[in-house]
Amino acid sequence: MGVTCVSQMPVAEGKSVQQTVELLTRKLEMLGAEKQGTFCVDCETYHTAASTLGNQGQAGKLMYVMHNSEYPLSCFALFENGPCLIADTNFDVLMVKLKGFFQSAKASKIETRGTRYQYCDFLVKVGTVTMGPSARGISVEVEYGPCVVASDCWNLLLEFLQSFLGSHTPGAPAVFGNRHDAVYGPADTMAQYMELFNKIRKQQQVPVAGIR
Amino acid sequence: MSGVRAVRISIESACEKQVQEVGLDGTETYLQPLSMSQNLARLAQRIDFSQGSGSEEEEAAGAEGDAQDWAGAGSSADQDDEEGLVKFQPSLWPWDSVRNNLRSALTEMCVLYDVLSIVRDKKFMTLDPVSQDALPPKQNPQTLQLISKKKSLAGAAQILLKGAERLTKSVTENQENKLQRDFNSELLRLRQHWKLRKVGDKILGDLSYRSAGSLFPHHGTFEVIKNTDIDLDKKIPEDYCPLDVQIPSDLEGSAYIKVSIQKQAPDIGDLGTVNLFKRPLPKSKPGSPHWQTKLEAAQNVLLCKEIFAQLSREAVQIKSQIPHIVVKNQIISQPFPSLQLLISLCHSSNDKKSQKCATEKQSPEDHLYVLEHNLHLLIREFHKQTLSSITMPHPASAPFGHKRMRLSGPQAFDKNEINSLQSSEGLLEKIIKQAKHIFLRSRAAATIDSLASRIEDPQIQAHWSNINDVYESSVKVLITSQGYEQICKSIQLQLNIGVEQIRVVHRDGRVITLSHQEQELQDFLLSQFAMALKVAARSWFSFPGTSVKTFRRVMFYRIANGIIFVVRSEKFSGIRWKVETLSIKWSCLCLRSALACYDPCFQHEVSRNGLEKMNHKHKEEKFSKGVFRCLPSILKPFTL
Repeated sequence: MGVTCVSQMPVAEGKSVQQTVELLTRKLEMLGAEKQGTFCVDCETYHTAASTLGNQGQAGKLMYVMHNSEYPLSCFALFENGPCLIADTNFDVLMVKLKGFFQSAKASKIETRGTRYQYCDFLVKVGTVTMGPSARGISVEVEYGPCVVASDCWNLLLEFLQSFLGSHTPGAPAVFGNRHDAVYGPADTMAQYMELFNKIRKQQQVPVAGIR
Repeated sequence: MSGVRAVRISIESACEKQVQEVGLDGTETYLQPLSMSQNLARLAQRIDFSQGSGSEEEEAAGAEGDAQDWAGAGSSADQDDEEGLVKFQPSLWPWDSVRNNLRSALTEMCVLYDVLSIVRDKKFMTLDPVSQDALPPKQNPQTLQLISKKKSLAGAAQILLKGAERLTKSVTENQENKLQRDFNSELLRLRQHWKLRKVGDKILGDLSYRSAGSLFPHHGTFEVIKNTDIDLDKKIPEDYCPLDVQIPSDLEGSAYIKVSIQKQAPDIGDLGTVNLFKRPLPKSKPGSPHWQTKLEAAQNVLLCKEIFAQLSREAVQIKSQIPHIVVKNQIISQPFPSLQLLISLCHSSNDKKSQKCATEKQSPEDHLYVLEHNLHLLIREFHKQTLSSITMPHPASAPFGHKRMRLSGPQAFDKNEINSLQSSEGLLEKIIKQAKHIFLRSRAAATIDSLASRIEDPQIQAHWSNINDVYESSVKVLITSQGYEQICKSIQLQLNIGVEQIRVVHRDGRVITLSHQEQELQDFLLSQFAMALKVAARSWFSFPGTSVKTFRRVMFYRIANGIIFVVRSEKFSGIRWKVETLSIKWSCLCLRSALACYDPCFQHEVSRNGLEKMNHKHKEEKFSKGVFRCLPSILKPFTL
């Protein structure tokens, strides 16, 4: 598990999501990356049931249950600014049993799917973020395998991102800011994805243009 | 209560007096009952003083006591009785007899007392024993003794006879049931080695590896039967065993897995021939009973069958570039293009004669025992995995499997880590890899050996490491010139022989990967030979007066007498000294010695470097001697 940076690629002007994705992947292939299959990250939202709330005024907390194909046997559960739980895939079954406490928010399933590229020590995943049938945005994840401490390799990552994202290079993710010298873990990646999904959810739907 | 008149109840005493007389008018005259004293007198009269001692004393005491108590009453009774005495004439006063008896008793007691007091003094009277009468005739005690002895002896004899009878009965019983008892002790011995259970009236055993973790579906049950075909009258043979085991028919005989590597492909018609190369049965331990050898052989057959079944299943399922062929009892696969690996299950039952397998094309040396042993080890590894302590005890709520696999969820393992946990290689793949490595290693060794024997100069040394892996071995190769090992140390190669390729690490840091082709290694080593020569030559010819010209395949040293070539070609690899018209092939050693003798510049150099010592040593060589002899004649015309 190396240091990962998850960012959003804004859709190019006048182009659809698919075309932008294609552009990116072509750039990567020209760079020399080799395709290594597909990936999928999905997220479901649950909120604490009203019956368990003490005061009426207290808002229900949101819990996100996520899966990542990079860690096929794991399931991640996280709160907004709270702890992240890494569990077995049986956790999904457990959630069914906890229906009384956690209720699934309707139509909240969001996921990103795409291809996985390997370029020496870098692992690049470009995916389309979809909510239901509609595509909402593009997610780009870059992982630098050899390093596990964020502060050591952020500059290298930034440089690499610049090489193919150009002007759309993101800043340092929030998770890096908290614990610069701590060991980076999969939970941080999922936190980044959660933020990305939330951001995309709040955005308005991408105007469907030129798909005909 | 009220109104009812009280009833008068009269009470009469029950004791009725005796009727003395009934008057004419019906009146009864009653006898006066006896008074107390009268009663006592009556009883006293009844005492018989002449009776036996005990009762007499008691009665006398009783009478005395009564007499004392009722003395008062007696005195009054005396008066009454005195009046009555007038009427009863024959008897006197009732106490008379008592008084007389007591008086006589007193008299006697006084006499006795007197006598005893006199005897005590021993002055006037002594006591003497009364002489005994003669005993009855003597025969009586002897016969009595005899009779008594006889009786007692008879009693003892009876007891002993009873015991002896019991013993003989038990001995005869033992004799008869001797075989019966031996069966049980033999069964006990069998039980110490094998698992037995009783089903109905049959005793069944289990010789499969199922309890050790095997998943082979064979039942592996054998039956224990009593050996009853024995004649008690005839002598029991030495190796007689009261129990016999009956093993399943398909596990009879002996089996082994033959693994061999062949260069040329056998004809298609040969496929599927049963290899009946009978290996001599391993000698059983001298003390072990015949059922032990039988059962062990059957278990071995079962294990071989399991190994072969696993291998053939994998051969069919696994996809590889060159598919494996499974025919009857053989699995043929091709690890390298020109190579064939044959794994066959050789099962020979005891029925067939061993002469049938006389015609065997393959020699026994073909069989790779190491691989057979490794196959056994691998299948046992597989058994252990199913029963390992990692899987047992089973967790209550987590999935079964390796502990690290269970942790891979909560610890977010990625695909690489998960793959490393799961060993995805089957038995066949492992064995093929091992076979490839063995073949590659033996061929590399053969190549090095052939080069060493073919080329005398320079010399090649190979140091094989003792500790190897099943998939990797290493050898250190040194190419040196004889006598100059210390100077020309530069050619040292470390060959790491893997499964499919050989990796060469040069002393100067280069890493070269050679494929499994034999020719590649040979060519490479030959090139290293030439390199060694060049390096050696360069090191000695580093003195003024020589000019060096290096080309790709040859180096020229121009010296006063001529030109020295260090060359490597197909025909020759070595050093040639071309002296105008004569071309002599030299080995390094000879050349040096010759130069030392004949080339002044070289001599100078030699003395400067102090290398003469070495030179002297090798002058002893026969070869050099021979050359030196002819040297003067050859070189005379060419001296400076």
